[in-house]
Amino acid sequence: MKRIVYFLAIALVTLPCLISCGEKYIDIENGNSLNTSMFWKTEEDMNSNLIAVYNMFYRQGTWTRNIYTQLNGMADDGVSYAGWTELNEWTKFKYTNYNFAEGQAKIWKEHWTAVNRANQVLDHIDDEAIVFGNENDRKDIKGQALWLRAFYYYYMVALWDNIPLLLHMSSAGDQPANSTPDEIFTQMEQDLVEAIGYLPLTRSKEKARPTKGSAYGLLARYYAQHHKWTEAAQCLEWIVEGEGKSVYSLEPVWQDNFNCKKENNVESLYEIQFSLVNYVGFDQTDNYRDANAQLGTQIEINQSPKGTGWNNVEGNRWIVEYFKREKTTDGKNDPRLFYTCWYDQATTDFPEHGDQLIYGKTWSDGYADSGNRVFIKKYSTDVMPLYYWNDNNFRSIRLADMLLLYAEVLNEVNKAPTAKAVEYVNRVRTRVGLPTLAASTYYDGAKIASDYTAFKEHIKIERALETAFECVRWMDLKRWGFDEATVKELQKRDVDYNNFELGKHERLPLPQREVDNNPNLEQNPKY
Amino acid sequence: MGRNRLIPVLAMLLCAGTLAMAQTTVRGTVTDEKGEALPGVSVVVKDGGKILDGAFTDASGQYQITAPAGSELEFSFMGFQPQSFPLGQAPASLTLKPDILQESVVIGYGTVKKKDVLGSISTVREQDLLNRKTAGVVESMRGMTSGVKITSSGQPGSGATIQIRGIGSFTGNSPLFIVDGSYGGSELGLNVEDIESIQVLKDASSAAIYGSRAASGVVIITTKKGKAGPLKVTGDASAQIYWLPRYDLMDAETYKLYDDRAYQEAMLQGVAGITKTQNHYDGNTDWQSEMLRTGILQNYNVSLSGGSENIRYYASINHKRDQGALRYTGYEQTGFRINTSGKKGIFEYGENFFFTKSKRQKLNTATGWIWSNFIAMPPTIPVYDESHPGGYGYGDPDRANTYALNPVGYEELYHAENPEQYLYGDVYGKLDIWKDYLSAKLNVSYKNYFGETSRLRKKGNWTMGQGDDAASIGYETAKHDKILIENTYTFDHTFGKHAISAVGGFSYDTFHEEYRGESKLNPLTIGDRYITSISSATGTQTATGSYIEYALISYFGRLNYSYADRYLLQLTARRDGTSRLPAGNRWDNFGSVSVGWRISNEPFFNVPGIDDLKLRANYGTLGNTNIGAWDYVSTLNTAPRAIMDGDEKAVGITLSNLTNSDLVWERKTTANVGFDLTALSRRLTVSAEWFLSKSKDLLLSLPILWTTGNEGSAPTVNAGSLQNTGLELEVGWNDHFGDFSYSINGNLSTLKNKILGLGYGNTVSYTSTSISEIGKPLGMWYLYKTLGIFQSQAEIDSYVNAEGKIIQPNALPGDIKYDDYDPDGQIASTDRQVVGSPWPKLYAGLNVSMAYKGFDLSIQGYGRFGQLVYNGAKATAGDFVNNNNNFNGYKPWTQEDPTTNTPRIIFGDSRNSRGDQDRWLEDGSFWRFSDIALGYSLPTPFVKKIGMDQIRFSVIGKNLLTFTRYTGLDPEFADSGIYSIGYDGCSFPNPRSVQFSLSFTF
Repeated sequence: MKRIVYFLAIALVTLPCLISCGEKYIDIENGNSLNTSMFWKTEEDMNSNLIAVYNMFYRQGTWTRNIYTQLNGMADDGVSYAGWTELNEWTKFKYTNYNFAEGQAKIWKEHWTAVNRANQVLDHIDDEAIVFGNENDRKDIKGQALWLRAFYYYYMVALWDNIPLLLHMSSAGDQPANSTPDEIFTQMEQDLVEAIGYLPLTRSKEKARPTKGSAYGLLARYYAQHHKWTEAAQCLEWIVEGEGKSVYSLEPVWQDNFNCKKENNVESLYEIQFSLVNYVGFDQTDNYRDANAQLGTQIEINQSPKGTGWNNVEGNRWIVEYFKREKTTDGKNDPRLFYTCWYDQATTDFPEHGDQLIYGKTWSDGYADSGNRVFIKKYSTDVMPLYYWNDNNFRSIRLADMLLLYAEVLNEVNKAPTAKAVEYVNRVRTRVGLPTLAASTYYDGAKIASDYTAFKEHIKIERALETAFECVRWMDLKRWGFDEATVKELQKRDVDYNNFELGKHERLPLPQREVDNNPNLEQNPKY
Repeated sequence: MGRNRLIPVLAMLLCAGTLAMAQTTVRGTVTDEKGEALPGVSVVVKDGGKILDGAFTDASGQYQITAPAGSELEFSFMGFQPQSFPLGQAPASLTLKPDILQESVVIGYGTVKKKDVLGSISTVREQDLLNRKTAGVVESMRGMTSGVKITSSGQPGSGATIQIRGIGSFTGNSPLFIVDGSYGGSELGLNVEDIESIQVLKDASSAAIYGSRAASGVVIITTKKGKAGPLKVTGDASAQIYWLPRYDLMDAETYKLYDDRAYQEAMLQGVAGITKTQNHYDGNTDWQSEMLRTGILQNYNVSLSGGSENIRYYASINHKRDQGALRYTGYEQTGFRINTSGKKGIFEYGENFFFTKSKRQKLNTATGWIWSNFIAMPPTIPVYDESHPGGYGYGDPDRANTYALNPVGYEELYHAENPEQYLYGDVYGKLDIWKDYLSAKLNVSYKNYFGETSRLRKKGNWTMGQGDDAASIGYETAKHDKILIENTYTFDHTFGKHAISAVGGFSYDTFHEEYRGESKLNPLTIGDRYITSISSATGTQTATGSYIEYALISYFGRLNYSYADRYLLQLTARRDGTSRLPAGNRWDNFGSVSVGWRISNEPFFNVPGIDDLKLRANYGTLGNTNIGAWDYVSTLNTAPRAIMDGDEKAVGITLSNLTNSDLVWERKTTANVGFDLTALSRRLTVSAEWFLSKSKDLLLSLPILWTTGNEGSAPTVNAGSLQNTGLELEVGWNDHFGDFSYSINGNLSTLKNKILGLGYGNTVSYTSTSISEIGKPLGMWYLYKTLGIFQSQAEIDSYVNAEGKIIQPNALPGDIKYDDYDPDGQIASTDRQVVGSPWPKLYAGLNVSMAYKGFDLSIQGYGRFGQLVYNGAKATAGDFVNNNNNFNGYKPWTQEDPTTNTPRIIFGDSRNSRGDQDRWLEDGSFWRFSDIALGYSLPTPFVKKIGMDQIRFSVIGKNLLTFTRYTGLDPEFADSGIYSIGYDGCSFPNPRSVQFSLSFTF
């Protein structure tokens, strides 16, 4: 009897538990964060979703670090003698491991992340259920997202050519096929035309956000790469002679384009904004989940001279020699040389600057054993000792570049240099004290001003000197095309081109893991 | 129960009276194998089958009986093998051996006799554990059972990993650990000396009662409990000296020779930027000597146990101190355990508590780092260099162009400590509801963990090109609570020839873990002392934090039925509900059925020599949801920040981790057929089985394409299915000649896996070194095949494809000749091919033990055979392409001396040293004598004289003898995941050691 009482007692205690221990005990919500079912509902959601796209500038594979090595290293202005053999081979058309983490995988991965983030905005921005206080704000967000996506595609096509074209948010199992550069260019051109309609002419604050001018600039670059010269000319016309004329002009002091003093200046069509506000004190902070991750750039330590920082990329000597071909109207060396490079003869070439200190040491004290190597000074700061990050904004699109591009495009449209084309080249030259082309003591100004080919060839030099190490040269080379003669010419300036195989090295191999695991994706030719 | 039944029988015998004859009084003691007194052993005097007298041993195992000349003494005790001796020949101190067939095997919510086991269960007994003296629980199982693969990390205070029957799942192939009936972690601060036995449940039917957690097998650990009797004290102390194997690396002088040659070759060939050889530093550093030392592991234990019929207790205290064989590492642990149980009438209760506090000094980065760095760091670099911030030597573009880290500088400038504590408590009450048939048990267990990692980063550099890092201090903590509530009902009864036992119940299990981290720059310094208080630091402060939580509810039941001790049946059913799957997919049902036929009990079965033969078969399904707590939820990332203007930050929100929101239970179905044989007077035991398992809807964080833009870990997906088949054979033999006894146990197993499906509809999946294709085993080596070395330009020019295209036009003599697998006349990604398997063809283990008087010797070995292993150390050294060091005896190709398989060396050109070539693969077969243990127990009479029960000394050599052709550090390494199972990426090697220990009981 007693046992039965116990049994019943136990049954009474446990049975209700048995019954109640149901679904609710295993329905546990993740309170760490929001989930997607609560998102993309308000204007605020859309704006913060857009901010996440801007966040992609601050990555090792984007504008923090590796893209500088990659783009400058491949082009003939830069070269890599990095101690890290694989890293420097990757800029020398010597590709062994197609999944190379630093130069290849990070850039590829993070560009796709940026595209996917922009696609999140674009997939939701037209949702009418999202109420905007002002419909123009919806358009502005959409314009920015379109612009940012196009910005990342521009560099991806420059590097790999035959990449997929993804215009919507990804799913885990997606296996997209290759697209051609033509398909991507066409789509992006269309997107940028649309963005131009949404973006404002200027912004009084939040300069990180692109404007109409940023969109015209990027669109001009697309059209030029696409050899759609007329369309490119129209964009550049807007910038130089149209509405943009009231916004953009050349910064009087050339080197102010590369220091922290005059960021977002009149010459700038688009700048990537860097800051040291998230001061973390050391490297290893490239964590997508870390709200304290750095917001500065490593351009400086990445390109710093041998023995100071990483020295992952430096200049080819011809840049110095080309600069020294011409003197300014007052008989001095081109001041751009002084602010572009560190090299052995700077003290004698620019006596007015005395014996400059390079991270605390003069060339003869600290760098004499570097011989005739050329280190990149553009974007350096006067920080001492050298730190991982700096807050120097990267001038992604600036007017001088646009002027030279406009000149090139006009030459293409008319199959001869126009007066305007010559004028814009002169504008860039005279700003730094060089004579006009006509007055040049080195170049045959008359021929250049009258001959299609001569002008085209000369633009290549002007662009090299004005925009050296600004990550534009590789796209220039692609736009001008590679053939046997060009490669021979390039070999004179950059020994890396001894490894260049036509039909193969105009683009990088796609990461092998992507090709292997995606039946729809084909490796680039000859890899 | 068993003992009770004996009493009336013996009492009857005793009453039968005795005949007056020439009587001798016999006295003696009966003990078990551990030398512990066995009370209640029946001692019977027999004469030609007639029982003359009988007695029982007392509480101290002693007996006294009179017997006539010519009679026999027979000793028997439940669970032990009976023994008989002619009068006068019985040893004064008799040791009874356990009867393996009667041994209890723990199967989860109950026990069965070994003879009735229907599944595949291996046991590691207390005696084995005592002889081996391992530092960790998992280590103690190494090589002792078949189908189990154990790999240790080698770092002080860190556990080993265990795999049962290979990879069945992609997520956590670690088995479920059950400690005294409650879920435990793999190590859990558990002290090996407190363990009584370990059972490994390998097949689905055995593990079925544990349902979803048990897909990778179950390890059931039973800790020691007090036994009725006076207070017993045992103590042991051991000291182990251990050391790590070293690479045979070049010294500075030899290194310079080769490095200069690599640079000269580079200049000859025109490698860009190379204009002179290195102006070498003039150090001669053996980085291994700087970082390695002799480790000393000391371990002390004292336990007290005893009790009465109604109350039993066991308490122990343990202290362990490990000075790591790697400098800057160490581990210290103190723990205690208390358990008591009591009984009154129909009510029984018990509790078990243990607490462990430990502190680990650890290396800052993953374990492999240090070993690859030994190779990467040129020996020319001095340890100290005053010209560098912090004062440590490292690379320089002209003197030693390398980014390798100075390990001494790194560890001295960057300290990390990891104190941890575990508290574990388990309380149960049990009620005998109806006679002895039905009982109910309520068990509540609670586990609490707190761990912290504190770091101090001092100012200074350890590698070339390091920026001006700030000093910092940081703390990361993790704490978790785990609660398990279980209510079970057990029924046990025999009706004539029908024996039924059944168990049923439910359990609720919940886990909550919190993570916190904070760090601050610029800790206060006074002189060169760093003040580690966060509040006094002056720089930027950052903080992080998150938590996870999950729960599992289960209803389960098992029925065991046997008819006439011949036909055995076991049915198990379980229903699980997990919080880790989306609503609607949370519940699933699992079950298993097992049958056995004890053919030896059939009347017709009359094979001489066979004591017991049982055939068995089972079939069952288990589930697994060993994935993240919220893998099915698309969680937003709120961390992104961006600069809008100047220093003005804006907050971004995005979906970073892609998610599959339709996850379901992973299911694994296993069929198992086998037999257990005991023969030749229980001297021979044989178990053999074959199994086939199929896993379906495997839950896996399957790598996805980078084009998706996914960040962080790949989303979990139900990715295809996998099949494992294997054969396992265990053979044991034990015998004795007089005082010499010995036993030999061997096990052999094979394991084959085959992919039946891959995720996202893929038919093939790759990593940078492996391929996994449907119908083939996982992770086969997929590399460029090498065909030797070009000896001449003529050979290069004549290496053409069908169209006559020169395949490697840029090669020079001394370069590697790669196979143009896809005959397009160039070496490209399409030339990779399957070049071998990382899977062993055979696993084997052997235990030999022997004892003579007080001496005992046991030898244990195991091996794996037939696998191809990637020697990451060789690949890291990489033929002087990047100033890394290399090994003595290195002989690269030269024009003068071309007879070698190693290509010419050239700095800055990776054509010959690429990681994805088959030159790095080696035969990884090995046989290792992991343990050779010699023990000596002082003679009992002597020990008794000094008031003790037992004193034992032992010396154990571990991993001292290995036979292998593998040239890496250790053929038994921790691999880096299921797709790279044979990839030895400079893994932390297993230490070699000699251990001395002393144990006593009184």
